[in-house]
Amino acid sequence: MKRRTFLMGGSAVVTAAMMGERAAFALPGPDELIWADDLPGTLDPHAVSDVPMQGYMINVYDTLYVNKQNPPKLVPWLATGHTVADGGLTVTFKLRDGAKFHDGHPLTSDDVAWSFKRMLAIKKGPAAAFLPVLDPDGATAPDPTTVVFKLKRVYAPFLAATPLVAILNRRLVEANVKDNDWGQGWLATNAAGSGSYIPDIEGYQPVQKLDLKRNRDHFMGWSDNTAPIETVRRRPIRETTTRVNALIKGDVDCTDSYLPPDQVERVMASKTATVSKDQSMRLMTLRMNNKKAPFDNLNFRLAVSHAFNYKGFIDGVLKGYAVRNAGPIPVNLWGAPQDLPAYELDLDKAKDYLAKAKAEGAPVDREIEIHIQEHLAQTTQAAQILQQGLRKVGVNLKIIPNLWPQLISSTAKPETTPDMWAHWVSSYFIDPENWIGQMYDSQFHGTWKASSWYKNEKVDSLLHEARGLEAKDQRQALYEQASRIIVADAVDIWIYNGVELRGISRRLRGFNFTPIGSGADFHTMWLAS
Amino acid sequence: MLILKKFLRDVPAVLGFGIIVALCLIALLSPLIISDLERIYDGDLAARLQPPSLEFWFGTDSLGRDVFARVIVGSRGALQVALSVVALAIGIGVPAGLYAGYTNGWGSQLVMRLTDVFLAVPQLILALSVAQLIGRGLGSAMAALALTYWPFFCRTVYGEVRRLRNALFIEAQQCLGASTPRILFVHVLPNVASAVIVRATIGMGFTIMTTAVLGFLGVGATPPNPDWGLAVAEGRDYLPQSWWTVAFPGLGIFITVLGFNLFGDGLRDLVDPRLRRSR
Amino acid sequence: MARFVLHRLVLTIPALFGLLVLTFIMLRVVPNDPSAALAGENATPEQIAEVRRAYGFDQPLWKQFVIYVGQVGTGNLGNSIISNRPVLRDIADRLPATMELTFVSLLFATVVGIPIGAIAAVWYQSLFDHAVRVLTVAGLAIASFWFAIILQMIFAMELDWLPLRGRFPEGLAPPYHLTGLYFVDSLLTLRFDLFGRAAEYILMPAFTLSLAGLASIARFTRAGVLETLQKEFVHYAEAAGYRRLRIIWVYVLRNSVVGATTQIGLLFGGLISSAVAVEAIFDWPGVGSYAVNAILSSDYKAVLAITLVVGLIYALVNIMVDVVHAWLDPRVAEKL
Repeated sequence: MKRRTFLMGGSAVVTAAMMGERAAFALPGPDELIWADDLPGTLDPHAVSDVPMQGYMINVYDTLYVNKQNPPKLVPWLATGHTVADGGLTVTFKLRDGAKFHDGHPLTSDDVAWSFKRMLAIKKGPAAAFLPVLDPDGATAPDPTTVVFKLKRVYAPFLAATPLVAILNRRLVEANVKDNDWGQGWLATNAAGSGSYIPDIEGYQPVQKLDLKRNRDHFMGWSDNTAPIETVRRRPIRETTTRVNALIKGDVDCTDSYLPPDQVERVMASKTATVSKDQSMRLMTLRMNNKKAPFDNLNFRLAVSHAFNYKGFIDGVLKGYAVRNAGPIPVNLWGAPQDLPAYELDLDKAKDYLAKAKAEGAPVDREIEIHIQEHLAQTTQAAQILQQGLRKVGVNLKIIPNLWPQLISSTAKPETTPDMWAHWVSSYFIDPENWIGQMYDSQFHGTWKASSWYKNEKVDSLLHEARGLEAKDQRQALYEQASRIIVADAVDIWIYNGVELRGISRRLRGFNFTPIGSGADFHTMWLAS
Repeated sequence: MLILKKFLRDVPAVLGFGIIVALCLIALLSPLIISDLERIYDGDLAARLQPPSLEFWFGTDSLGRDVFARVIVGSRGALQVALSVVALAIGIGVPAGLYAGYTNGWGSQLVMRLTDVFLAVPQLILALSVAQLIGRGLGSAMAALALTYWPFFCRTVYGEVRRLRNALFIEAQQCLGASTPRILFVHVLPNVASAVIVRATIGMGFTIMTTAVLGFLGVGATPPNPDWGLAVAEGRDYLPQSWWTVAFPGLGIFITVLGFNLFGDGLRDLVDPRLRRSR
Repeated sequence: MARFVLHRLVLTIPALFGLLVLTFIMLRVVPNDPSAALAGENATPEQIAEVRRAYGFDQPLWKQFVIYVGQVGTGNLGNSIISNRPVLRDIADRLPATMELTFVSLLFATVVGIPIGAIAAVWYQSLFDHAVRVLTVAGLAIASFWFAIILQMIFAMELDWLPLRGRFPEGLAPPYHLTGLYFVDSLLTLRFDLFGRAAEYILMPAFTLSLAGLASIARFTRAGVLETLQKEFVHYAEAAGYRRLRIIWVYVLRNSVVGATTQIGLLFGGLISSAVAVEAIFDWPGVGSYAVNAILSSDYKAVLAITLVVGLIYALVNIMVDVVHAWLDPRVAEKL
């Protein structure tokens, strides 16, 4: 009885289905790129400034200047040039004609000025690089192709920092403002850009899936690329091994830029993929929350600094793809003192410092925590190596898996910032300000870069001064001096400056690496068949 | 003696018992097998990911640590956790079951409804929720597992007590004026004990498995704990070349759970074939 | 029968209510002050107090509970921290994938498990029987996540026979959305090519997931058949000359399957639990991998919503299993 009913019902459904539409399907063709790198936590380019956002922003949005090549050079992009007046306090940009947003509206200086205003008003992400020197009303648009910036102080990295600020479609964002939020609620899952690729918001699944379609009308044109990629499918794969295996199998065209050195040989030996090894300025650091006892005690911090097996980690785990970096500025950038003494593994010294810290009343017996980034194996490995060293001197370190978006939001307050956490400081703009400036000047407290909550009046004034000078050699001397103080204070543990390793498929061509964005500029890429 | 003979004829059960005994011996004697327990935390970074050899029977992991030593010590951890969880679950479940089974009022109903609530969600999901609440780590995993396992003991005891409640000898005791606690502990409990023991044995295997899953997901044990589940998770990044980092911890889980399952099955068949029903 | 179903439904309600209370307690006991989190990073104390009032956090606990129940009832389970979308919407998006995986696994476990168990019982003490006994016990002892990793390593990495991860090839449009289950939809729309692709992708995850269930069902079927074969009516049928196959198919199986059926409810719970790890390993876009991500990100609203949703589904499945049980063995329904 039931069987008959089922069969009758089944055939009815099938007949109905046959009358219905058939879904069109597209095979992954030679002009589709499958990009498996991480998506940013939000689509609003003024809300965060991190490596995933850089990779997204450089394709979907345009900026006044951009970075190209390695070592990076600043290249005019939306701007055709700039002039500086008033001893550096006024910077004027001339915009090019013909730039349009994805919705067809022209990009004018009004959009530029408004974007800077919004970025400064929201005070997140890229704002850290501008807040000390620019007011929200500091950007004006006297005519449709001119933008004038009035700085409060001279700021040498100003030009280098302009690639951080995405230019938004003012009309579009303002139409979606709710409760004075500058459109943040809307822009978190939408786009208002002008860049060489247009995101398909219909199919967007946060953190998981985003498709990008080529913007044929991009103002830069496509003459430099004879076979540009029409569709980019961003499909982040979180598990490292899965991502690497997918690359080797040919399912995806890239990994993230943190390919474990263990996997490099394997990927290079495969027929489908290879590894792009690019010298970068990417500093790995283990942060210490200087406001949480016992990390507020210098001797304790010194003890921890001597409990990490730097050599073992760099030689064993990094296999030579990194160099020891004693302080907060990458060794290959000016401003890093060349003779800076680096902390080394020395358990006896560690024990001494620990005893001193204890004598001073620091709670050295409490269990301390280090937060690592779940899917970046190096952070776990570094944490476990530190754990090994600390065990031997009697300190209990607990390892807590965590994720990047949660970690950076926890650094807003000292109470919620972890005792220690592991991360890299990549190149957002090429200037010591990107590292030492934003990490150790107390005015940046509340951002993830400044999550050590360090406050030193002397260092603050040195950094402040360096920020306001133009001459490189003058700034260099100040940064070097600040570096020495910070290292002597053992504020954090700085491990290495590394090479960026990214697995890419052999059919991918035109991968032009520049540290900002880690080479994820789809504009120049094409696929060989 | 008859029971022992009957038990010995059930080969899988004897095998299971043998495994458990071997495991306990290894766990107890591990300080002797591994000369220095601290060794499992130290690795020679220059000797990372070495394949199995005479020096390192199970090879080394990504931090140069001896996989063999870690698997052995991991067995200690697994047994400790499982014993604690099951003991806790018994500690909550058996008294609750005795109470609910013997009495009749709303208290009994409340206890049984409570078991319904905790059984409403699959164990792992509830364990994840609790871990979310208390914070991740081995302690919260154990608490969560105990909280999700006590209903099974409660239900088993409840069923048995209900069955016995109307038995003649209980009535006789009541007539003689024995107090309720006395009846429960001296007369009812011994009869219920066998069911509890069977349930506990099977529960050990199940707990070890779930602890491993939680460790794998990053919700249970944290580094540098040589927990088997955690070891599999850590070793995953190095497949397929360094397969030993995953194969041996997994084998440890397999053999241990197998041992408890086989023994538990054998006990169950021995004690009461009717109990074949559930986990 | 209808009364039986109603009776079962009524019994489930207190359990679900208790679950609501449990999740509510967890929600309120979470360490962070929800008002501060909602107000944002730079909020002043006045703004935080305002949020507290607006959300009702200053009300007595029981009133908050009533509000909570109302919210759950209307489907407002909060927003996910990661996606900033309603949690329920995230779960609804991902539920079909998990349901598909679970049902295919269950189907496989049943379709393979019952015959294996029955044959093992009929060929009692044969080599096949011994092998089945050993394999079923082993099947329950293998950690599903470990097995999944090994399968993945062998079949996807070394041999390259099966896809590594995911549910469907990228760039290929999935079958027309009728049920959300690719298997079903591709068959219903007669797209057998898509059916093939979907099958490729679901093979390893479903097989991994079905292992424990298969073992369990085979064991219980075997035990049930053995028991039934001892019964008098079977001897009578044999004596009367009925063919063995007919005896087994018509009489024995129906009585034995009862034991296996009651297992399915419990199995379902086990499947959901194992699905969490298996989904994470194969990157299967279901509720399980969502749960793992939620707990790692401390997205507590998502975790609690999953608990509630899974609890509800689990309860419904158990009711369905009981109904099937009553249909197979009418004596169960009559007891009421």
